[in-house]
Amino acid sequence: MKKRMMIAAFAATIGLVASACGGSSEKLYLFNWIYYIPDDVIEDFTEETGIKVIVDSYASNEEMYNKIVAGGSGYDIVVPSGDYVSIMIAEGLLEPIDTSRLANFGNLDPAALARIGFDPGNRYSVPFMMAAAGVSVNRTKVSGYEHSWNVFDRSDLGGRMTMLDDMREVLGAALKSLGYSVNDPDPAHLEEARLVVERWKPNLVKFDAESFAKSFASGEFWVVQGYAENVFIEYPEDRRDEVDFFFPKEGVPMYMDSFCVLEGAKNADAAYRFVDYMLRPDVAARVADYLMLPSPNVPARALMTVTPNYGFDDLAAGEFKEDLGQETLKLYNDAWRRIRVGN
Amino acid sequence: MNRPGDRAGGGALGSVREPGGLYAAPATLWLTVFFLAPLAIIVAYSFLTPGARGGVEWTPTLDAYRAIANPTFAKVTLNTILVAIGATAVTLVIALPCGYYMARSERQTLLLMLVMIPFWTNFLIRIYAWIAILGNEGFLNDLLRALGLVDESVRFLYNRGAVMLVLVYTYLPYAILPLYSTIDKFDFSLLEAARDLGASKLGAIVRVLLPNVKGGILTAFLFTFIPIFGAYAVPLLVGGTESYMLGNLIADELTKSRDWPLASAISLVITLVTTIGVLLLLRANGASTLGGPAGEASADGAAPEPAVGGAR
Amino acid sequence: MSRPASPRRSSFSRGVFIGTIVFLSLPLLVLVLYSFNESKSGGWTGFSVKWYVKLFTDSPQLWRAFGNSAVVALGSAAVATVIGTLGAVAVNWYRFRLRGYLRTLTFMPMILPEIIIGVSLLVFFSGVGLRLSLFTVFVAHVSFNLPFVFLLVLARLEEFDFSIVEAARDLGASDGQTLLRVILPISTPGIVSGFLTAVTLSLEDFVITFFVTGPGATTLPLYVYSAIRFGVSPVINALSVVMILGTVLLTWSTRNFLKYIAAK
Repeated sequence: MKKRMMIAAFAATIGLVASACGGSSEKLYLFNWIYYIPDDVIEDFTEETGIKVIVDSYASNEEMYNKIVAGGSGYDIVVPSGDYVSIMIAEGLLEPIDTSRLANFGNLDPAALARIGFDPGNRYSVPFMMAAAGVSVNRTKVSGYEHSWNVFDRSDLGGRMTMLDDMREVLGAALKSLGYSVNDPDPAHLEEARLVVERWKPNLVKFDAESFAKSFASGEFWVVQGYAENVFIEYPEDRRDEVDFFFPKEGVPMYMDSFCVLEGAKNADAAYRFVDYMLRPDVAARVADYLMLPSPNVPARALMTVTPNYGFDDLAAGEFKEDLGQETLKLYNDAWRRIRVGN
Repeated sequence: MNRPGDRAGGGALGSVREPGGLYAAPATLWLTVFFLAPLAIIVAYSFLTPGARGGVEWTPTLDAYRAIANPTFAKVTLNTILVAIGATAVTLVIALPCGYYMARSERQTLLLMLVMIPFWTNFLIRIYAWIAILGNEGFLNDLLRALGLVDESVRFLYNRGAVMLVLVYTYLPYAILPLYSTIDKFDFSLLEAARDLGASKLGAIVRVLLPNVKGGILTAFLFTFIPIFGAYAVPLLVGGTESYMLGNLIADELTKSRDWPLASAISLVITLVTTIGVLLLLRANGASTLGGPAGEASADGAAPEPAVGGAR
Repeated sequence: MSRPASPRRSSFSRGVFIGTIVFLSLPLLVLVLYSFNESKSGGWTGFSVKWYVKLFTDSPQLWRAFGNSAVVALGSAAVATVIGTLGAVAVNWYRFRLRGYLRTLTFMPMILPEIIIGVSLLVFFSGVGLRLSLFTVFVAHVSFNLPFVFLLVLARLEEFDFSIVEAARDLGASDGQTLLRVILPISTPGIVSGFLTAVTLSLEDFVITFFVTGPGATTLPLYVYSAIRFGVSPVINALSVVMILGTVLLTWSTRNFLKYIAAK
């Protein structure tokens, strides 16, 4: 009896392990932002190419970077923002990309490519989306506010507002509200920005880069700093006009997220096929429709069926986050730590 | 009580050497490599310089410890201690009468099953349920509004109170089970005797029952305090800007700010505090009681449910 | 032990106990209710089983995570059970060098907050250059499962006297025969509950797994965590109801199984 039980248990274990490891089909390990590529687009890619895509998600560049550095190097594709593209290039974490192998690379808007300072000539990165986090306000609950970062000074909205759990975005917002650059290396300016965040903090429920959109959609939060796509994807379709998404007039930190192939990627060929697939006009249009964002893919724009929540013109007041360099990054880290830790 | 370790030496422990070493080798090796060595690395890392891309550089420094001594960190430590002590105290105060009631009941199996209810589903899912209950637009606020008790939503969630509540909820069964199993072994005729001698009911419980179930209280305390002291997920999910705890600090330093030495140093401090605390408490109690409840449960077949372990 | 049904005992402790049970079951009731809610977020809009349909027909990532969890749970529990049982046999019945060391070593992981175990293992894996994957998750799970198996088996073994082993030897049994024919059978209840506890711990673990997980190694709790924060959560409600039913069923059958063993 016991013996048979044991054998059965073992057999079951081995069977499961085998089935988990089995299947010799080609695979692709994608490490991507949450809410960035709809499941059905990935499923269609698998159907077309037979390449199975395994997706894991992150909510900030720091989170992604540290997972890679700590030993999560088994991914093939990551999607860092510009500042982290330069950091990862400098660290030798990325594999050079031969854009001539991407038939659809020419679809990308030359105007967008021209703005790339983090990887001139796209030797390591292929742009996916250019966007910025802004502020979403629930119109039915909040009135009498400016399109400014000072909305976070409203203590009457205490307990109803959140900002991102993302150092560069929050400090960038504070720096912008003071009229400084989001990449300002001056410790005095940074200290001022820290104090601004400290001033906002009592009015914030929490720093949150993941669940803010859900809670905003359920009416739990009324003012959130965050990505438009997250908010609108979660918000009930018939009530989306209740959402006022704006870029504060003082300016915003913006980013270009790009596909990068990790150094030593086992499935580099599959990675190329995936990136090229994502550059295809019909696919790029589907993705942009889903995100309700402007597409950097020129032919895709004509195929879109959804009006984006904002256009590239609206990003005029945006400033790209850049790699801060060792010393300045440490200052930012320290400021951010003090904000989180202090009561 | 079958306490590992305090068996009479006599004929119990065989005088045979072989093949004990052989049997013990895999466990010893595994835990040395995959538990002790990592802890040793933490110790070493805490004295090193943070590497630019995470990890460490091999330049010794006390920076991490200087950072911990900084008053800003003291706030987090204090907050963590306050939450841990508060939540543990509430848990024990609730768990004691529960254990007592269960021990005196005739339907112990049923009551045990009821206490195990939370283990029926994943603890993250249960936290999620609490978010749905306590939110501004949640069940509780809906109810209060429907009853006309409040006009505006009461903010239950995203503060220290919510963290405490969910922590108490999470660890209550871990406190009830050991308390129940010790009180169950208590000879209740002692209580009657005390009362016959003129003690009040409360007096009898405090002076006679509590000293006799000290071991159970201690185990319950450790099973509650230790995990709460290292809490990470609960403050992250239901806490607000002011509910930051040491566990969150460690995680953020390791996964975001990439100051590994600092994360290591804080981990080491927590490790030392817990270990020394446990040793002191055990010494004060005179024996190793930890593990009692689990062991006893299986020994008398009362509660060997697979879920006994549950989430820690 | 006599338990006189005293009328005095009811009042206070009973009230607290009933209150506690309500407190403990409240979230589960909410989950069950929500799982049948048609709406995606908040407010009751109508009865629907669509989340159950979605759970079973259209949640590939969830089931992949479940598969990972099952592999890790069964695998790590099996390894921990074998290693932990042998260790318990050794500590209980034999003298060997490092006996005290092993005892302390099996005790330590139980008294440390799990975040410490997670952090130290991540730092360790990173330090020795081991890539994060399902394998590192498996290793971590064996480490925290092992002490529980060890303790549960040890508790069972302590009910028996060494004379059993001596008798076996006197009858000419080899060490191997003694282990397989005498020691293992008597410790079966301990081994079974150790194995099941290990499986449960492994299925539940979030914090340690969160740190040591790698590409494609999402376990069920990690999936649940991300679903709570973003994505479709009503499926999680349906999942939790299925888990509740599963656990009740498992508990019930284990209980009967252990009773059956104990009766033998």
